Amino acid sequence: MEQNFNELIAWLIWILPFVAAIIIPAIGKRYNNLVGYVASAIALFSAITAASILPNAIESHGIHNQVLWISTIDLKAGVLADPLSIIMSNIVAWISFLITVYSIGYMKHDKDQVRFWFWMMFFIGSMQLIVLSDNLLQMFFGWEGVGLASYALISFWYRDKKQHHVGTENHSVLGLVEYYSPTHAGMKAFIMTKVGDIMMLAGMFLIFSFAGTFGFRELIDDTTWATNMATDGLLIPAIVLLFGGAIGKSAQFPLNEWLLEAMTGPTAVSALIHAATMVKAGVFLVARLGPILFSLSMAGILVDQFFEIVALTGAITALLLATQGMVNMELKKVLAYSTGSQIGYMMMALGMAGLSDQFVDGYTAGFFHLMSHAMFKASLFMAAGSLIHVVGSRFMTDMGGLRKHVHKTYIFVWASGLALMGAPFITTGFWSKDAIFASIYESGHVLALPIFIIAVLTAIITAFYTTRMIGIIFFGERSQHIMKMEKSGDHIHEVDKLMWLPYGILAILTIGVGIFGLSAENNIHSIFAEYLEHSFGIHSAHLNTEEHNDINLFSGLNALAVAFSLLAFVVGFVLGYIFYIGRYIDPTKFVNSNLLFYSLHKLMLNRWYLNTLIYWCFVISPLLIARRIWRYFEQTVVDLGMNNGFEYAIKWSSSIIHKTQTGVVQSYLYVFGAGLLFVILILLV
Amino acid sequence: MEYLALQVVFLPLLLSPLAYLLGRKFGPTTTMWFTFGILAYCTSIIIHQFTIGDYEEHYKWTEQFGEFGFLFDGLSSIFAIIIYLLCTILTLYSKPYMIHKFQENFKLENKNEQQSQLQNKQTMIVQTDQTEYINKNSGVYFALYLVFAMGMLGTVLATNLIEFYVFFEVMLVPAFFLIAFYGDGNKRRISLMFFFWTHVGAVILLLGFLTIGLSIGSFDFVDIDESEIPEDILLLSASAIIIGLGVKLAAFMFHIWLPYAHGSAPTPISALLSPAMIGIGAYGLFRLIIEFLPGAYHELAIWLHIWGLLTMIYGGIMALMQDDIKRLFAYSSISQMGYLLFGIGSYSVLGMTGAEMMYITHALGKGLLFMSAGVLIVQVKTRSISKLGGLANKLPVTVVCAVIGALTIMGVPPTSGFMGEWMLFYGAIDTAIDEDSTLRIIIFSLGLISTVITMSYMLWMLKRVFFGKLPENLTHVKDGNWYMLSPMIVLAGLTIILGIYPDIFLNKIVPYMSEITTRILSIN
Repeated sequence: MEQNFNELIAWLIWILPFVAAIIIPAIGKRYNNLVGYVASAIALFSAITAASILPNAIESHGIHNQVLWISTIDLKAGVLADPLSIIMSNIVAWISFLITVYSIGYMKHDKDQVRFWFWMMFFIGSMQLIVLSDNLLQMFFGWEGVGLASYALISFWYRDKKQHHVGTENHSVLGLVEYYSPTHAGMKAFIMTKVGDIMMLAGMFLIFSFAGTFGFRELIDDTTWATNMATDGLLIPAIVLLFGGAIGKSAQFPLNEWLLEAMTGPTAVSALIHAATMVKAGVFLVARLGPILFSLSMAGILVDQFFEIVALTGAITALLLATQGMVNMELKKVLAYSTGSQIGYMMMALGMAGLSDQFVDGYTAGFFHLMSHAMFKASLFMAAGSLIHVVGSRFMTDMGGLRKHVHKTYIFVWASGLALMGAPFITTGFWSKDAIFASIYESGHVLALPIFIIAVLTAIITAFYTTRMIGIIFFGERSQHIMKMEKSGDHIHEVDKLMWLPYGILAILTIGVGIFGLSAENNIHSIFAEYLEHSFGIHSAHLNTEEHNDINLFSGLNALAVAFSLLAFVVGFVLGYIFYIGRYIDPTKFVNSNLLFYSLHKLMLNRWYLNTLIYWCFVISPLLIARRIWRYFEQTVVDLGMNNGFEYAIKWSSSIIHKTQTGVVQSYLYVFGAGLLFVILILLV
Repeated sequence: MEYLALQVVFLPLLLSPLAYLLGRKFGPTTTMWFTFGILAYCTSIIIHQFTIGDYEEHYKWTEQFGEFGFLFDGLSSIFAIIIYLLCTILTLYSKPYMIHKFQENFKLENKNEQQSQLQNKQTMIVQTDQTEYINKNSGVYFALYLVFAMGMLGTVLATNLIEFYVFFEVMLVPAFFLIAFYGDGNKRRISLMFFFWTHVGAVILLLGFLTIGLSIGSFDFVDIDESEIPEDILLLSASAIIIGLGVKLAAFMFHIWLPYAHGSAPTPISALLSPAMIGIGAYGLFRLIIEFLPGAYHELAIWLHIWGLLTMIYGGIMALMQDDIKRLFAYSSISQMGYLLFGIGSYSVLGMTGAEMMYITHALGKGLLFMSAGVLIVQVKTRSISKLGGLANKLPVTVVCAVIGALTIMGVPPTSGFMGEWMLFYGAIDTAIDEDSTLRIIIFSLGLISTVITMSYMLWMLKRVFFGKLPENLTHVKDGNWYMLSPMIVLAGLTIILGIYPDIFLNKIVPYMSEITTRILSIN
């Protein structure tokens, strides 16, 4: 009975937001200002349901319930709340709830409340569907659902007003202006993630063709499909294609470019995309598949290439986006770069996990980073939203010296910013990053060293750009923009409680959890160790010896990893302090001082030319070719040639026949006679 | 029920003169509800029969041709439902749209008349009464509409090659007149072009029919046995049938009539031509090629697959280049018919099931899109995309329906488009793996890539029409009336229901497809 009840609850977690999405338009007709509160309440309710089955799901190794869906081909829909998904589901639910609270304040003056809340709820519901699905096909529903919701929300301000664009108006790279309208950005996000999605579909189909099922549990119960696929040489392509979906959704290299333009949406949406939904979906997919594949590799089927690709993609993205984050001047874009880069860390950890014998270490590290990132990035985005709201500009150069005006936000940004930097011992970010370092280092794989170096380098850059961001916004002189505002009577003041409370809570939480970070991590570690052991048969060597982690606080630490994360934090922070907080050196002068720095700066500012390259290869040239085909084939060969050609041919032949109709009886008789003669001859022969 | 199929096919034909008279006497509203009543009645009979099961009816015809029959099975009943459902709800939509069109025509004709009279320096200006004009034309319109509906239904229910051909041509005639009378642009020329192309296709089809019928001595579907047909004739006649149906499908290289016809036809007719009529080509391929000539299908499947791929990509690329919104949808239809061909060539149960789902999907999605284009034509009075923009909050219901329609065409869950598409592509890759064919894998991947093209032109269209800046002259635009909007809401609801719970149709389609697939496999 209780189990049945829990199964029902597990369904409710993802159904509730959809229900909210459906009833919102009905309420919105009459009570436009109420929809936010209703949506928020339902989000809270969904979060409570998620929390209520958390203990049971972990204890019972997963609540699993199926119903028949497409009967003719025996496909089932189901909900699978195992430790991985239920923890993830709780993160999604609670963070989304806080973001909805923030949104009530943020969207208070917008006319299109109903549309906003419909898509927000749809977004959350789709993400929960991804997390709680027990098979790939159903997951794909959620997968496309988040894509759709992101499309709708990124281009939420579809009027394309100037203040909603991203990019600098006159910044052109290789002949392309990097200045995007909301509608363009939404389209870009949807199409770019679709490229990943079709890869994922292809991978799904390959697996379904061999396994005859999409179910995660079924795939692990009987692994003959993998053996068959491996002998055909299709296993690696299939799972790499599946990872293609994750690349698209999680904005990993080379499909990372949509994430930056996604900043055209309302900031609450950005927070949702970056912290709780959408980009985490890709990481979750890898976390879902990782154990299945690792257990295959324990059974002797080679899947190392998959994990190598995951780790390398993560590493490249982490570095690539972190470097771009150093130079950008738009507040939200810096945070967006940072998200992509941090997701890269998670991918690194999950990839390296598969390459070491201690799968659970890297797995936990990646997932723990996902958790801590969800907290501090949601907080940072919401804070950024209120800063932009207060100042009325998305550029950090229009801020400056704000620390006296928005005191609370200032403190909260420091707290979550420190977590992003990985400030030692008191922030969640430190512990999770440290765990990633340790797992990479301990994996002992050939790739471990290069990836470790990239990880450390990225950590330095992360600390640097975070300090830079805080320095530019809160320190130094007030910008001309602010002075102008104050002159015209607009005084800069803190946003109201409904807005700062959510990110305040999250900021405090990052520090609060951070203080007990190691024991939190060890808890998750033991949950996952047991989960992997029980569901996938993946043993971890020190499962039994580490039961006393809570007492011996530092037993799980790798000294080298700690040393490097400390080093990275200090170097990045000091550099950032010199340039942007202490302002001892002018960064502009520094960059222009020699050619190397100048060209590096330009390379990063132009997004490593990746965006432009993608546009040239996949948008502009195809359109040019299409125009050629349209003009010279469709309009000329097909239309003029076939269509009108036929017409002219008929006209021409009619004109010839016309000429034969002379009206002279003699000539008719001649022809008649000749015909008669012909017929007779044929009959005779 | 006795004479069930006879009723649903011939009732519209028999009552069409009455529709004309009613229109003439009482005006468009009466005749619209009359037409709606007939079609709704017939549709409900078909749906009722669908829930009961397969059904056949046969009548004596001539000695030479065999029996005149009707068959509802897993294939035809679904086509029948979709065709009549669309016809029924589009009757409602027709009224406001066609009145708008009649008024336009009336003004145009009057102007011409006045000009010629002025030239002739006649002082008397004969003013035709506008109401009378509208009444008369609505009578003609709905009468032709009923015949058109009947032609399409007859084709999918036919059980005899000649019967199939007759209905195939019958649907052509009213469509020709509808375009010639009520089309836009150079309507006479376009209607003739439409007629010629499809007629030539039909004649080629007839050639194929005759070779088959004469070599086995019967035209009845039940008598067709592939083994009795000489091998050299078989491939020839199969190719003739495929080409004939390919013209109907507007497959690559036979497509040029379609953008003209669909662009020019009055929108409710476009919304029937495109979703319902051209897909009948796919029905023909299922019934005539796959079911009756499995040996030929085995030989030709890969070519259909490639042809489908070419059509998909080509239609998509051309759709990117369009400025006229109805022509854009027309090219998109070409591309979607490519999906159907692709699925037919996939040579697997799920692939073909997917193709039939795609027919349903395309009918719903493209129906929605054409209807929203119609709303634009009536309310905004333009169809050029470059003159539109930012209409989202002016036409709230239309934009929601158009977006759902576009999502259906793009194959994004939870619309029925995804259900069609995943089965289609899964079928393709499954066959590729089974046959270990690199060519099929390449076709499969290109096919998936062409879904990105589909997505691009759809999203770009939405962006240019409904989002972005609102041109200043469009600030007064209002949404269409409920005659136009309610059919769209029905279709939008259907596509989502089918997308979440496709079993409604799949329960019928999959058994049929498995049966014919086993037959193919047993022969080869």
